[in-house]
Amino acid sequence: MYRRTLLSLLLGGAALGILAAPAAAQVREDPSAYPSQTIRMVVPFAPGGASDFAARLIQPGMSEALGKQIVIENRAGAAGNVGMDVAARGAPDGYTLFLGNVGTVSINPYLYSDLTVKPERDFIPVTIVADTPGILIANPKFPPNNAKEFVAYAKANPGKVNFASPGSGSLNRLEMELFRKANGMDMTHIPYKGGAGPAVADIIGGHVEVMFTTISSAINHVKGGRLKALGVTTRDRVQALPEAPTLVEQGFPDNVSASWQGLLVPKGTPRPIIDKIHAAAVKAMSDENVRKRFLDSGTIPVTNRTPEEFKTFLEADAKKWSQVIKDVGATPD
Amino acid sequence: MELFDRIIFGFSVALLPINLLYGFVGTLLGTLIGVLPGLGPVATISILLPITFALEPQQAMIMLAGIYYGAQYGGSTTAILVNLPGESSSVVTCIDGYQMARQGKAGLALATAALASFMAGTFATLVIAAAAPQLAEVALEFGPADYFSLMVFGLVGAVILARGSVVKAIGMILIGILLGTIGIDVNSSVPRFTFGIPQFGDGIEFAVVAMGLFGIGETIANLSRGEAARTSVKDFSGLWPKLSDLRAIIPPSIRGMTLGSALGILPGGGPILAAFSAYSIEKKVAKDPSRFGNGAIEGVAGPESANNAAAQTSFIPMLTLGLPSNAVMALMIGALMMQGLHAGPQLMTNKPDLFWGLIASMWLGNLMLVILNLPLVGIWAKFLTVPYRFLYPGIILICCIGVYSINSSALDVMLACLFGLIGYIFHKLECEPAPLLLGLILGPLIEENMRRALLISKGNFETFIARPISLSFLILTAILIVFLAAPRLRSTRERAFQEQS
Repeated sequence: MYRRTLLSLLLGGAALGILAAPAAAQVREDPSAYPSQTIRMVVPFAPGGASDFAARLIQPGMSEALGKQIVIENRAGAAGNVGMDVAARGAPDGYTLFLGNVGTVSINPYLYSDLTVKPERDFIPVTIVADTPGILIANPKFPPNNAKEFVAYAKANPGKVNFASPGSGSLNRLEMELFRKANGMDMTHIPYKGGAGPAVADIIGGHVEVMFTTISSAINHVKGGRLKALGVTTRDRVQALPEAPTLVEQGFPDNVSASWQGLLVPKGTPRPIIDKIHAAAVKAMSDENVRKRFLDSGTIPVTNRTPEEFKTFLEADAKKWSQVIKDVGATPD
Repeated sequence: MELFDRIIFGFSVALLPINLLYGFVGTLLGTLIGVLPGLGPVATISILLPITFALEPQQAMIMLAGIYYGAQYGGSTTAILVNLPGESSSVVTCIDGYQMARQGKAGLALATAALASFMAGTFATLVIAAAAPQLAEVALEFGPADYFSLMVFGLVGAVILARGSVVKAIGMILIGILLGTIGIDVNSSVPRFTFGIPQFGDGIEFAVVAMGLFGIGETIANLSRGEAARTSVKDFSGLWPKLSDLRAIIPPSIRGMTLGSALGILPGGGPILAAFSAYSIEKKVAKDPSRFGNGAIEGVAGPESANNAAAQTSFIPMLTLGLPSNAVMALMIGALMMQGLHAGPQLMTNKPDLFWGLIASMWLGNLMLVILNLPLVGIWAKFLTVPYRFLYPGIILICCIGVYSINSSALDVMLACLFGLIGYIFHKLECEPAPLLLGLILGPLIEENMRRALLISKGNFETFIARPISLSFLILTAILIVFLAAPRLRSTRERAFQEQS
């Protein structure tokens, strides 16, 4: 009996391995028959992160809408490049989806000169799924209380202020570089690794003064009084944290940015299939429960972008970050 | 009394039949994966994450937590009976637990492990309930300079607990540190030892090295030893300890659970470091340290209580601050996020049923584990009496699935096999792989924190002695080095280890 338990465990594990592997037979099928088999969604980050969170929130609704199960495949490594590469090599038949984000799609191509994947060339955008706004946070004991005071303080104390980031090539570092350069501030960059957690912890502990991070990783600390918000990077105030002023309203109109998550498919995927995936994603995102979970985490669900609008957005996003990267000479983390 | 009310409230949640059921499923699954070498809580919990999405938050958390601390119990069974750490934190239990088993005291060793873990589990539950909010503040006080000194202290401590020659131990630590440098450097972005392979950009996964060295390497080593090695461990007599045994178990358990509770709170601490540290403390306070490595009961009780206490108190920074102190806690945060909840200061006030229910479930889970592990130990041991020709391919398959499930990377599986081979060579050279693992964990943390501390202090090394926490750990490190280098002590240590081999 015990042996059977062991065996079933092994078989279960093996089945899992098989599920995770790409479908072996790639037969071109009529798009109207799509989907006829399991669909995989490649998430280029480990379970537990923001991308994984978004993927697992939309997975049940999308599976239901499409009528076939979507399997999430976490392929972490090299700042998301490993997963992006895996997805780009997938067959363009609608059975490989890629959950890209600002880092993998808009930043990495300009950071890693040897990247074999070119998102613009290798993927077709389907829809943006969620937007996580950025927030400029500081330790409560840090003297400035808003973005204007922060600029003045950093100028009065050149080289004295330290800012944290979750890595040299991260969006949050580039957000600060954009802000710093526009306002002529001299600060020291302290890079962290392992996501926002360790860096935010050192801001709470008062070891580093300020950083840009996603609202979702800071919202509870701000509400609990362990961090103060100097500004958010949205045009309008964020519903989950209405007391935090935007950078725009404080006189910094260029500091609008967000860590977005979006669905892309390999180049060559037929348009009728893209439309089906788009409709399924919109349907999954419109579910009241899913919306609520996104909003509670400080993430804004996005359901009103067509594939074309997403494409235009991507072009602008890539242009903006490639310029910042060039300006500051940022390198991969 | 407020604490009392909170605990009563917690039990009112945890004792709901549905919550009890998920607690039981979690601890059962935890024991199973704990018994089976190579399959750990990280892999198991990531596989189960999608399932928890369908559960209520407290059921999901109660089950996942059960897997985690259940694995600490189950891991020791394998460590004692086959000298294989079922769980990486039971590496230390192998040393004396297996020796006890070979001397026909397998039952006593298992009972010691279970009772020490239960005591520690009870204590840690109380610690979490009483001090969760306050204790988290301690961890926050630690800045980069303090972490640097703490990690150095941990690494020097690793030399002392290593079996065999000091030179070999230092060599193994250095290999571990070197392996830890693989990847893209955080500060300068220079790729180090990546050979242009993108998968190496984030370094080699700890679990890959651990499963390779311990899971696969030990399996090869065991095969070369033949069937005889396992024959002495089928006798579980003396499962219920005598009064004199209890007297020998309780003091090291108390030391272990105190130390483990403290180390569990620190990020990067956790069950492995706690077990190692508890072992070296037991060795230090023992009247006759030469018994260690030869089946000393303290060498089982101390580390077992320490790793279980640490596994539980690592929930404190996660629940109260949203700071994961290890990979499992990061997954727990992920599981909460999937429920639309945030681990953080507000969890306790927004979701008191989840918070206190989870804590109460930990004590109930520990109780279930004693029952699962003592009267039913025969069942778990049956897993280990499966003939080698079934067991070893099974272990290696599970290791490979486990390794693959972390990153879905075939390269990781090949690396684990390579480390298996290296582990076998280490075995032949009589080099203990445990210090290598510590070097691998602590090396990168030491480098990262040292450079971060220096960035913050603008290159001023005084920061390491100006901060009281950092200074304390540096002084402790210096004392350790003096002890290690003192000729009289060194000869005692060498004699002690010679007697073992």
